Amino acid sequence: MRGMDIELRDVSIRFGGFTAVHPTNLKIKAGEFFSILGPSGCGKTTILRMVSGFLNPTSGDVLIGGKSMAGIGPDKRPTALIFQSLALFPLMTVRENVAFGLEMRGMAKGPRSDKAQELLDLVALGDQGEKTPDELSGGQRQRVAIARALAVEPAVLLLDEPLSALDLKLRQHMRSELRDIQRKTGVTFIYITHDQGEALTMSDRIAVMKAGVIEQVDTTDLVYNAPSTAFTATFVGANNMFKGKIKEVSSDGAVIDTKYGLLRGTNPKNLSVGSEAILFVRPEKMTVQSGGKKSDNAIDVKYERRDLEGAFVNLHFLQDGDKFSVHQTNVNLKSHEKGESCTIGFDSKAGMILATGELADE
Amino acid sequence: MNSLRRSFGPILSLVIVVLVGVWVIGMIVGPQLIMVEQSLWNKEIGGDAAMNSTRIDRLYNEVDTLGFDISDAEALAESPKRTEKIATITAEIDAKKSTIKELEAVEIKPEKIYSFKNYTLMGASHFFIFVKTIGAAVAVTIIAFIVCYPIAFTVAKVATPGKAALIMLFLIIPYSINELLRVFAWLMILDNNGVANLLLGFMGFDPISFLGSGAGVFIAMIYAYILFMVFPIYNTVETLDSSQIEAARDMGAPTWQIHRKIVIPHAKPGIAVGCIMTFMLSAGSFAVPNIMTRGIAEPWFTQLIYNKFFESSNWNVGSAYAFTLVIACIVFIFMMMRFFGVGIKDIAK
Ligand SMILES: Nc1ncnc2c1ncn2[C@@H]1O[C@H](COP(=O)(O)OP(=O)(O)OP(=O)(O)O)[C@@H](O)[C@H]1O
Ligand SMILES: [Mg+2]
Repeated sequence: MRGMDIELRDVSIRFGGFTAVHPTNLKIKAGEFFSILGPSGCGKTTILRMVSGFLNPTSGDVLIGGKSMAGIGPDKRPTALIFQSLALFPLMTVRENVAFGLEMRGMAKGPRSDKAQELLDLVALGDQGEKTPDELSGGQRQRVAIARALAVEPAVLLLDEPLSALDLKLRQHMRSELRDIQRKTGVTFIYITHDQGEALTMSDRIAVMKAGVIEQVDTTDLVYNAPSTAFTATFVGANNMFKGKIKEVSSDGAVIDTKYGLLRGTNPKNLSVGSEAILFVRPEKMTVQSGGKKSDNAIDVKYERRDLEGAFVNLHFLQDGDKFSVHQTNVNLKSHEKGESCTIGFDSKAGMILATGELADE
Repeated sequence: MNSLRRSFGPILSLVIVVLVGVWVIGMIVGPQLIMVEQSLWNKEIGGDAAMNSTRIDRLYNEVDTLGFDISDAEALAESPKRTEKIATITAEIDAKKSTIKELEAVEIKPEKIYSFKNYTLMGASHFFIFVKTIGAAVAVTIIAFIVCYPIAFTVAKVATPGKAALIMLFLIIPYSINELLRVFAWLMILDNNGVANLLLGFMGFDPISFLGSGAGVFIAMIYAYILFMVFPIYNTVETLDSSQIEAARDMGAPTWQIHRKIVIPHAKPGIAVGCIMTFMLSAGSFAVPNIMTRGIAEPWFTQLIYNKFFESSNWNVGSAYAFTLVIACIVFIFMMMRFFGVGIKDIAK
């Protein structure tokens, strides 16, 4: 099996008067594990259904392997879709489920069954072939759906939040398994999720989507470390926020005037003096100041509480109704009283100043 | 039983059980048993006894005729001849009456004789009609399925909710009209001088005798029982997760394979129920064939049963005929359940 590349050229779709996906350009490389991340209702499934052929774009063109897919139905495209609900066939055995696509392609019974066995082995279900789907656990059903989709040797596997029905443990286990399968087969994966942790752990690249618009397409590192909009910054990972106006711009960053005073950070989008902006700092890049040691930026806050995660700890602070958090390793942890005055701070390289915009609500 | 008590309380569940019991015994088991009993006996009248009763019948007839003669004589003018005539006739009547008395005294009341004889009495022509009726009911069932499955599937899975409601409405509206009126409407359409032949005439075709060929019964029956096929199928198809259809298509299944492998297996219980209902209703239909054949085409078996009961006044043979039809229907139900591989439980769902 070899993956194919996918390209969306000015693809948009409207349902009646409602534009579910605004004109979008997107290139996904062959053999890539690509995720589309966004909140519920932002149009992720809609994009996937346009790629698989169940929906026709109102404008634009979907290309797979360089070929336009206009007028080609889902049964003729080199894609396989794994549904949000899995859509296994309950009246067939697991083996029949996996062999279904091959049967439809007219493969004889013998080779079909061998191929199904091979795929069941790939997803570690080699001895479960004679069961029916409802006799399997959630994770096993999940793997049957993957085996069934891979059976038709698709160049592109489309996965619509396939892990959302599983419990946390299983979900984490399946993440690495999916990643493994993707490496072994070399098929292009387009993975849809609204879980940023899932997208970050599995993907090569991520597209962050909001209300029918793709906000940012980047590698996982860049999406996390260099978000390009306020939405991405708040949707992917947690962030501390300081709202204000840009006071000063220099070659290595900018100074923003907030109610906590002047704060310094990087200015990746080259915002100009006077524009409304927000400075974002990741909790793990914030520190609690002790004694005379001062960062570039310091803020006086009141201690609220802490969440112990074992190796890590989250400290929560309050000031003027704003919440701040600091993520630390559980080493030499100082204890604080509720309401105790503290100073938190961050290095100016750790602060990202981005234009004000819509935020992801937690 | 316990769950019944839990949901309705002891008094109400007792009432429910008693009512259901009364209904099952009084309306289903009782009449069936009476019918079966009737079908198993006959009254043998033969030899002298038969002669005797025919003689009695004849004498009664003669007495009646003589009664007319008296009235005639009385209408004549008063004369000795008239008095004499009346006297002779009266004497004659009295003589006959006394003979009747004598004969009636020796008349033997026939006894019930239990046997399967009534079941063996069906002649070749009636048996042929029985087979033909069963065959025709099977054909109606198959045609109704072919017509209804696409409708049910469209309403359940293809049409937008608005359109689906509209189609359902169009299907249901005619059923608010009395069944007889609906069948009469078909009669007017399919009659030799009916609307259908009028249209054919306009198009330059020769008229077709829809009624004479028996096609009329078919068409009217499919129309009369279409809902009983559509609804059970619709109900089961509706519960099919649409993404299964899409998944099958995504894996390259052509439309007919999607139906064969996904939709029909899922809808089996509904199809079985629809087929059983349509078959039972059409095999047991009396009004539709009665109106649509009207002696032009061969009768339906139910019409033969009617004739046995109410024209030959032979309730025993009539019961045997009716019970034969019941047995045929039960056999058909089990065949359908075998064929579709569904159990009573699936159907109950
Ligand atoms: N067939 C349709 N007709 C009308 N509107 C639709 C249709 N399909 C989707 N939409 C709308 O398009 C928007 C995007 O839907 P979509 O299913 O792509 O969301 P999603 O990102 O997959 O969300 P989720 O994470 O909840 O699955 C929604 O507002 C939805 O109401
Ligand atoms: Mg979705």
